[in-house]
Amino acid sequence: MSIFLKYILSIIIFFPLLSALILVFVNKKAEGLLRNLATVLSLVEFLLSSFLFIYFKSNTYEFQFVERFSWIRAFGASYFLGIDGVSLFMILLTTLMTFVSLLSSYKYIKDHVKEFVILMLVLETFMLGTFASLDVLLFYLFWEFMLIPMYFIIGMWGSGRRIYSAVKFVLYTLAGSLIMLFGLITIFILHYNQTGNFTFNLLKLYNTNIPLTLQIVLFIAIFLGFAVKVPVFPFHTWLPDAHTEAPTAGSVILAGVLLKFGVYGFFRFAIPLMPEAALILTPIILVLAVISIIYGALVSIVQKDLKRLVAFSSVSHMGFIMLGLFAMTAVSVDGSVLQMINHGISTGALFLFVGMFYERRHTRLIADFGGLAKKAPIFAALFMIAVLSSVGLPGLNGFVGEFLILVGSFKQYTVFTIFATSGIIFAAVYLLWMFQRVMFQDITNQKNEDFKDMTFREIMTVLPLIFLMFFIGLYPDVFLSRINPTVVHFVNIIEHNKYAYNLIKAKMGLFNA
Amino acid sequence: MLDLAQIYNGYYLEKSLLSVMPEAVLIIFAFLILLAGLFSNFSKNSVNSYYLALIGITFSFLYLFMLSDHTIKGFYGSIVFDKFDVFLFTAILLSGFLTVLMSKNYFDTRNVLIPEYYSLILFSISAMMLLVSSINLIMIFLSIEFMSICAYILTGYLKGESRSTEAAMKYFVLGAFASAFLLFGSVLIYAATGHLGLYNIHNFMSQQNYKLLYHTYNVHTFLVIGLILLLVGLAFKMSLFPFHAWTPDSYDGAPTPVTNLMATGIKIAAFGVFIRVFTSIYNFNVFNFYNILWVLAILTMTFGNFAALLQTDLKRLIAYSSIAQAGYILLGVIAGGYYGISGTLFYLIAYVFMTAGAFAIVIMFENLNLTSVDIKSYSGLGYKYPLAGAAFSFFLLSLAGIPVTSGFMGKFFVFSAAIKSGYYWLVIIALLNSAVAAYYYIKIIVKMYMSDNNDNSEQIKLSNGSNNTIVNTVNANNMDLQTFAESGGGKTALTETVLLKSTTSALIIAVIICLIFTLILGIFPQPFISFASRSVTSLWNI
Repeated sequence: MSIFLKYILSIIIFFPLLSALILVFVNKKAEGLLRNLATVLSLVEFLLSSFLFIYFKSNTYEFQFVERFSWIRAFGASYFLGIDGVSLFMILLTTLMTFVSLLSSYKYIKDHVKEFVILMLVLETFMLGTFASLDVLLFYLFWEFMLIPMYFIIGMWGSGRRIYSAVKFVLYTLAGSLIMLFGLITIFILHYNQTGNFTFNLLKLYNTNIPLTLQIVLFIAIFLGFAVKVPVFPFHTWLPDAHTEAPTAGSVILAGVLLKFGVYGFFRFAIPLMPEAALILTPIILVLAVISIIYGALVSIVQKDLKRLVAFSSVSHMGFIMLGLFAMTAVSVDGSVLQMINHGISTGALFLFVGMFYERRHTRLIADFGGLAKKAPIFAALFMIAVLSSVGLPGLNGFVGEFLILVGSFKQYTVFTIFATSGIIFAAVYLLWMFQRVMFQDITNQKNEDFKDMTFREIMTVLPLIFLMFFIGLYPDVFLSRINPTVVHFVNIIEHNKYAYNLIKAKMGLFNA
Repeated sequence: MLDLAQIYNGYYLEKSLLSVMPEAVLIIFAFLILLAGLFSNFSKNSVNSYYLALIGITFSFLYLFMLSDHTIKGFYGSIVFDKFDVFLFTAILLSGFLTVLMSKNYFDTRNVLIPEYYSLILFSISAMMLLVSSINLIMIFLSIEFMSICAYILTGYLKGESRSTEAAMKYFVLGAFASAFLLFGSVLIYAATGHLGLYNIHNFMSQQNYKLLYHTYNVHTFLVIGLILLLVGLAFKMSLFPFHAWTPDSYDGAPTPVTNLMATGIKIAAFGVFIRVFTSIYNFNVFNFYNILWVLAILTMTFGNFAALLQTDLKRLIAYSSIAQAGYILLGVIAGGYYGISGTLFYLIAYVFMTAGAFAIVIMFENLNLTSVDIKSYSGLGYKYPLAGAAFSFFLLSLAGIPVTSGFMGKFFVFSAAIKSGYYWLVIIALLNSAVAAYYYIKIIVKMYMSDNNDNSEQIKLSNGSNNTIVNTVNANNMDLQTFAESGGGKTALTETVLLKSTTSALIIAVIICLIFTLILGIFPQPFISFASRSVTSLWNI
């Protein structure tokens, strides 16, 4: 057991890859076997990752389950893994969402099943690796390769303009990542110039002194990499396309996990590496975040396509998370980390429901539905819960996260927060109006007469998510108590740097108001 | 048993011979292949000479391994065998080995002389090795000519095909032009310094009183013009931007294994000699060559990538992409220093495996006659041949520089070296270029995996037609293919077995070697980085 716990992160990261290798040897005609085996293996993976939750010490911000081996001596890169309160939940979210999306794709994915399940499991390995690495080069390796399986998933099993969307997704993210690579290498070289050692150890790189002007340049470079992934307002255009054309499982993973990488990157890399630059650029980033919130919400209102609506709502919700993170108070960052989990669960669930609509009717246009509540009561009830969780109804998870973000940010950035709050109202507008048009009213389209209710498998797919919506909504302390020490430490680092920042501010006469 | 220490301390002639031992072995085997060709009938020739070529390269490896710890100067200081050579010889021999593996069945359906082909391959490999180990301007010129003449002949080896002949002609004319520049440059340098050996020129320049040199108007001008012309001559062989014109045509027209040799071997040799020359005689304050070089690097990669975007022919696409890759490699040379040159060498060896792998797959599909080299004909191939498709995608991703592949590690190494030397903008431009490059590599993957199925039926019809035209071939593999094609085709269950049957094991071995090394270089590059760094120590002036 002790050895198991010592290498648990490696085991969790590479178990899906191993599973994928096993699946390579299964005959591709045996589609049922492939599906079942992949789903079961991903469930095992989720159970494995729950050990992290059980053995996680919630009273410290230190990295836990640390593993460290020399990897590339010439660059001082090491195989360095470790998790704190934030990456713990990101890993759990990843393993859960992969399981859910594999379970959801029994009907949706009809051809090339073998390739699909293998790619999903490979993707899982790289997502987990990204969340667990504390070595910058290792992180980048996982981070960028992650694009490739996702690209195949969108391009091979997507609908409509899938190739266009897949290529757009890859090129946007790749361009961002490459510019980010420039920033990371420069910090690496700066550290070498200051200490004479090559190292990619993130904890050591935190101590690099970067001159302020260079810091701003590098922050912008790294910001571009992460902002594309989040996505923050002007860099979001890949998202609606990718989300809309991806298969359900792809959308769930995209919304549930991939978007979190951007915020996680800011939390783990960009802000602690360049705190002063982050503080100076905060107002600009907050403006972008608020624009994302309002723009995403307004565009969602006018969408005719269910999936596009959910996709744009993601832009809006991710704006909230960015607002909470960059407000940089303990409460708001707590809220934003919790909201990352919430968004994964709620939006993931919404995408699952949209997928079910599509499987039944082969259309996603809101106008084609109507009056379904009578035909499919369970569907309507569960869908309602997911919608309300996304709206932020008290008692469900969305409320807790958004409330913490708004409370935490209000004191620091009152005006931004007031504007951001309108996003919640808009969310109620677009989601509830959508729900009304889809589920209530009279049946206008004859094809909806034989709209089937959810099957047992479909209920099982969304049930874990529905459960978590209530659980986080009613008792978020299980999560917050583990997140909080890490967040407090993060905020302390920033506060520590605020002294220097205030000196600079006084010198430059910035933001006198 | 050969006692190295004795010979090493012994007579000059033996030392000279020892310094060219790996090359000499290759030349001996090249002649052996020609001789063996006289004494056996035509059908056996191809197999015999193929094995002889492989054995020759293996022996050369053995000698390289035995000599690897020594530094031997020979032929009155015009050849040196040192650690730098060991690394580049390894890369060149690997490229040659893979080329020979790929050639095995390529010429089955084409009416050409086989023994001469293999002996030319061996000659050109030995010429590349001689070029890398030359430290004398005359020797550099001789080896470049030796290498180029082999390459001209090999490019035009498909006698019947006008494209091949045209490519050889273009390559020859431009190559001769480049040689003239090279020679003229050497002459001017000789005029200015009175020396031909790189080491002597280096000493001359480092001991010169610069003020005196500057005031001696003629000497300075001669030296600068000479160095520039020498750079132009070498830039031709490295296919840097304004001197790249021969590359697309000759890559496209040449038989694909030869294209592989040109893209990997010749590029390595050219960069190898360039590093040697550049680090020894360009580092002085005569003229700032770094400014020329980084402009060349930017132009090369930008032009290569944007031209590759427009290509529809796979071989031309790889040709343009190889121009772009030369730009990235040049970045390492510009960065310079211990770190930069190690990065360049690492990139070169990574480049061998990914490029050779990609070409091996192209040949695999070419041998099947299922496809031409038009990208359109690759649609849906990823489903028909899952393994070959996956391998091809992997090589393309490596060329694009996606992590977990050697391409990423190479780029990372070179770019970080450039940042270390302060070339921030150069690296940003190179990174944006990589993003552009990703588009055309991904375009091929899109064709293989994501195109509409409608294209496939047309594709099978096409292949049916092309198979009927080669009825005369005695090759049993192609007979299988033909019966398959006549039986209607399109049955995906059959196609996999067809691929396995008609793809020779040699080709599969080549792909597997490339795959393994591309992966290892991408994940555990440390041993190779150490190897590269060790070899850099034998360069002067680093």
